[in-house]
Amino acid sequence: MRIIESLLITLLACLPSFAQMNLEGEWAGRYHEDQADRVPGDVQGDFTGVPMNDAARRYAESFDVRRVTLLEHQCQPYSLPHIFRGPMQFRIWSEKDPATQEVVAYKQFLGTYQQFRTIWMDGRPHPPEYAPHTFMGFSTGQWNGDVLTVTTTHIKKEFYRRSGAPSSDLSTVVEHYIRHGNLLSHVMIVNDPVYLSEPYVNSEEFVFMDRGNQNWLYNCEYVNEVPGPKNEVPHFLPGKNPFLKEWSNKFGLPLEAVWGGAETTYPEYMTKLDNSSRTPLNVRKDAPRPPARPAATPDGEIKTFHVQGNVYMLVGAGANVAVQIGDEGIVVVDTGAAPMREKVLTAIRQLSNKEIRWIVNTHADPDHTGGNETMSHAGRTVNGNPAAIIANEHTLAHMSQAGRPATEWPLNTFFEDVRDFHFNGEAIFLHHVPKGHTDGDVFVYFRGSDVLVAGDLFMTTTYPVIDTKNGGGVQGFIDSLNKMLDIAVPGYLQEGGTYVIPGHGRVGDEADIVEYRDMIAIIRDRIQDMIKRGMTLEQVKAAQPSLDYDGRYGDSSAFVEAIYRDLSSKK
Amino acid sequence: MTLLSALIFFLAAQRGQPPVPRTAQAAAPVDLTGYWVSVVSEDWRHRMATPRKGDYESLPLSAEGRRAADAWGLEKDNAAGLQCKAFGIGGIMRQPGRLHIAWQDDNTLKVDFDAGTQTRLLSFDKSKQPPSDKTWQGFSVAEWEGPNIGGLGGLGRGARGAEPDNSRQIEPGGGGRGLRGGPAPPGSINQGGSLKVVTTRFREGYLRKNGVPYSEDTSITEYFHRLPKHPNGDEWLLVVTVIEDPKHLTQPFYTSSQFKLEPNGSKWSPRPCQTAPPPK
Repeated sequence: MRIIESLLITLLACLPSFAQMNLEGEWAGRYHEDQADRVPGDVQGDFTGVPMNDAARRYAESFDVRRVTLLEHQCQPYSLPHIFRGPMQFRIWSEKDPATQEVVAYKQFLGTYQQFRTIWMDGRPHPPEYAPHTFMGFSTGQWNGDVLTVTTTHIKKEFYRRSGAPSSDLSTVVEHYIRHGNLLSHVMIVNDPVYLSEPYVNSEEFVFMDRGNQNWLYNCEYVNEVPGPKNEVPHFLPGKNPFLKEWSNKFGLPLEAVWGGAETTYPEYMTKLDNSSRTPLNVRKDAPRPPARPAATPDGEIKTFHVQGNVYMLVGAGANVAVQIGDEGIVVVDTGAAPMREKVLTAIRQLSNKEIRWIVNTHADPDHTGGNETMSHAGRTVNGNPAAIIANEHTLAHMSQAGRPATEWPLNTFFEDVRDFHFNGEAIFLHHVPKGHTDGDVFVYFRGSDVLVAGDLFMTTTYPVIDTKNGGGVQGFIDSLNKMLDIAVPGYLQEGGTYVIPGHGRVGDEADIVEYRDMIAIIRDRIQDMIKRGMTLEQVKAAQPSLDYDGRYGDSSAFVEAIYRDLSSKK
Repeated sequence: MTLLSALIFFLAAQRGQPPVPRTAQAAAPVDLTGYWVSVVSEDWRHRMATPRKGDYESLPLSAEGRRAADAWGLEKDNAAGLQCKAFGIGGIMRQPGRLHIAWQDDNTLKVDFDAGTQTRLLSFDKSKQPPSDKTWQGFSVAEWEGPNIGGLGGLGRGARGAEPDNSRQIEPGGGGRGLRGGPAPPGSINQGGSLKVVTTRFREGYLRKNGVPYSEDTSITEYFHRLPKHPNGDEWLLVVTVIEDPKHLTQPFYTSSQFKLEPNGSKWSPRPCQTAPPPK
């Protein structure tokens, strides 16, 4: 008997995990909850049930639907936390290891915006924080009995609702897939440290499509349909959105109640709602909280990330370092902070043993140029000199004025708008943009690899630093991002294509650049309006003109002050 | 798998241990007990407030359903003593409020609602006869569903006489731990099972507060799921409801309602069946 038991136990242990609930097939949404929001689309002013915070309210209040007419926004799909809330059918299938028949991944094709997803089931880790984000994010799954649980990170910024309730790129989503016969329930719980004060939970039902459906394709071609100023960013100034009350008025609900918030999702709120005609509802005020910026890169370690083509990003050197490698040698864009220079060099050497031929400085800051001497002397031009350091002439001036050693100076300078050369089989463009972060900024475009290196003209970790003392300015900053947008070409539906290495933070693409540009333009317009109304700098700061972005980019006081002084000087 | 089941039965019989019918509580693949608060993130306008008459957005109503909904009057219901029509089996899960789920006995789960001070009894005893009188909450028959129900996992745990170890809980999703496709760990509070409930013998009532009707001919099936613990520690209960009413609906009406576990009953607040008037 013991032998039989042992055999049985052995047999059980050898069973592959194919006894899971089968989710494969084609599923069509049913819209018996929030149909008006999910199918025809809600109007501005409906944020009911969303546990959004004050920052999200400010963002939503400012949102002008004309913004989606901008070329860069037209073909933007819904992100993961949003797409299951729209009209949708989707297909699920599995990919199995041929040797073990274990499920390696579940694949999804979502008919809305033709989105593909992979849900990895093989235990792989999520990408590092400096990897690009996508609209569907990066997903891993795990079965809990008959429930498939999926965790997704690396999601792009978008919306929870079309009405302008924003989602951030720091959101994470946990999904649960539950099947009962031909009914599939999909639960989605979103954590968003920037725009939500509590997790946002939703669930939707899908029914199995026995006969399938042909409505799977989504064609989007962006076109300029409405003539208007190029690079205009439509938005409403705080308190000026004329459409906000339409929804609450239509359904006879108090304005404060339809503005969302975690409090409004609990039963106790019904009492306030019932009494609201007699007692004004308190305007909510979130408790101050620290910004939810991405964690800093690991101290003391240089991480290498292959961006695309010949171009790599080195992370952890203070500022990001870009490295292009090929048969002709190595190009290094920015060299990191001085304390990290040897480790940066080691990381470069691990990529290629070719000579470092060229070094480009995007600007003069020490965290971008601290390794200049080390990299230069480790490299060699074709005539045997240390590798040449290229920069705009203003950058050389700033470094020399700052008393930096001459051995660190970029002596190969230029003053024209753009310099180009061909190296490692691709054209490389150095675009000078006056009055951005400083007056000497350069961003680099590797045309063959299709990678932009932005320097501090684009960062995913902080607000722009407008160094007015060294010639920086807000309009120049925006112009530089617009120039990058002119160069960048996204992949299908605003994702990938041209990648952008920021001065600090994670790899981005055109969708990230445009969000950064929009943010600066919106805050600039608000401050401009406040200046017109005669407000002092202190009053402007107290009015929190960057409230909707502070949770993402942190302390805005220097940014606000720089814009204020820049715009005030032009009155 | 049939062969394996036969083998297990054979082994048990050889040991002189014929399978002993277990109580529903002992066989529970998931612990649904506790105080749960509804989190109204969906259909907020129709759940937190009382919609105006004729507002039946999202509902697959038939012409008869619309006619009945259009004839609703709150004052008429109140005068007739029918205040609880919006708190019956077809609408109670959508009412903002709290559930208290507990075992009344070994084979009956009791679900109390503070909204409308309602109680449902979910009986696992299939031999139990329905009452002759119809009630707002009807007669509910429950059964466990899931991968371990009546299968290897259930027998294995039950045969050893072990109680569920609710202290160990699973974290959802990935993270490189190599947990591909495996069942929940034995003893987990959630082994992926769920509770299926079919309810009959109920009085007609409202799907929504504003008089959108369901009839006594309606078929109501529910699935109760305790979801894997959220990374922030939250525990969620999902109740999927399928309502088929040949009189008032043109297709099955699906909703899923979310509830979050509370540490205790300190916020339990029973209140009578009462519907606020809709806005002017």
